[in-house]
Amino acid sequence: MNFLIIDDSGVMRRIHKNILLDHKIDESNLFEAENGEIAVTIAKEKNIGLFLVDWNMPKLDGLKFVQIIRALPQYEDTPIIMITSEAAKYNVVDAISAGVTNYVVKPIKGDILWEKISRYIK
Amino acid sequence: MKAKYINPFISASMNLFKEYLGLDVESGKPYVLVDPRSLDEVSGIIGLAGETTGSVVLSFSRDTAINIISKFAGHQYQALGSDVIDGVGELINIVAGNAKKDLLDYKIVISLPGVITGSDYRIHWPENVPVISVPFSSSSGNFTLNVSLRDAE
Repeated sequence: MNFLIIDDSGVMRRIHKNILLDHKIDESNLFEAENGEIAVTIAKEKNIGLFLVDWNMPKLDGLKFVQIIRALPQYEDTPIIMITSEAAKYNVVDAISAGVTNYVVKPIKGDILWEKISRYIK
Repeated sequence: MKAKYINPFISASMNLFKEYLGLDVESGKPYVLVDPRSLDEVSGIIGLAGETTGSVVLSFSRDTAINIISKFAGHQYQALGSDVIDGVGELINIVAGNAKKDLLDYKIVISLPGVITGSDYRIHWPENVPVISVPFSSSSGNFTLNVSLRDAE
């Protein structure tokens, strides 16, 4: 199962990547993108099983990325966890409306994030 | 500037630095920043727009930024490199995004964060609005939270 980590912060991508590596996810299954635009390209080339996506990013933000991905037949039902600092209720409503599967507010401890990720691992 | 603006940012900062990072951190008495240029060497800045507008800045000395981002990233950094600067941007992003949940009367959009380094820089704060500075002391060094917001016209 492939994972795509999408965040404009290299430090955040490293933190999320390390959580997956710590739980025996093979590095060859991990892909990274620094914005939604690059992530769409990777998603079309790889068969992604779980997306971890930030909201605020340059070029194409997480919300628009989710809308684009959900319009692709192969990703209609693929789990998408949005991991964002955006904590307002209206942000959560917008994200769920766009097709996000699970919404997580940063900062989040690694073990709690892993508990959420592990629900979707086949 | 309304007092209710500042508390959500103090709460979000305490949550990030104390609860999440586990730092022994305390906030001091807020004061009006007389010289808006008197910030520390590394400042993360984010703009707010919508029903309230302005800027929020977290400002650290070089060593404090390195110490705190090392803790945040789980990796010991030795110098003020691109990862530390990136991490400071993420800290202010988290503080601003988290504060939104307590600014219940306003619908706000936050900008992408920016990070400024150096000893002589100027931040374009909102005109005719005081900058409220909150000092924090922590086991990884001292830093300040600086907020200048007003209701949109």
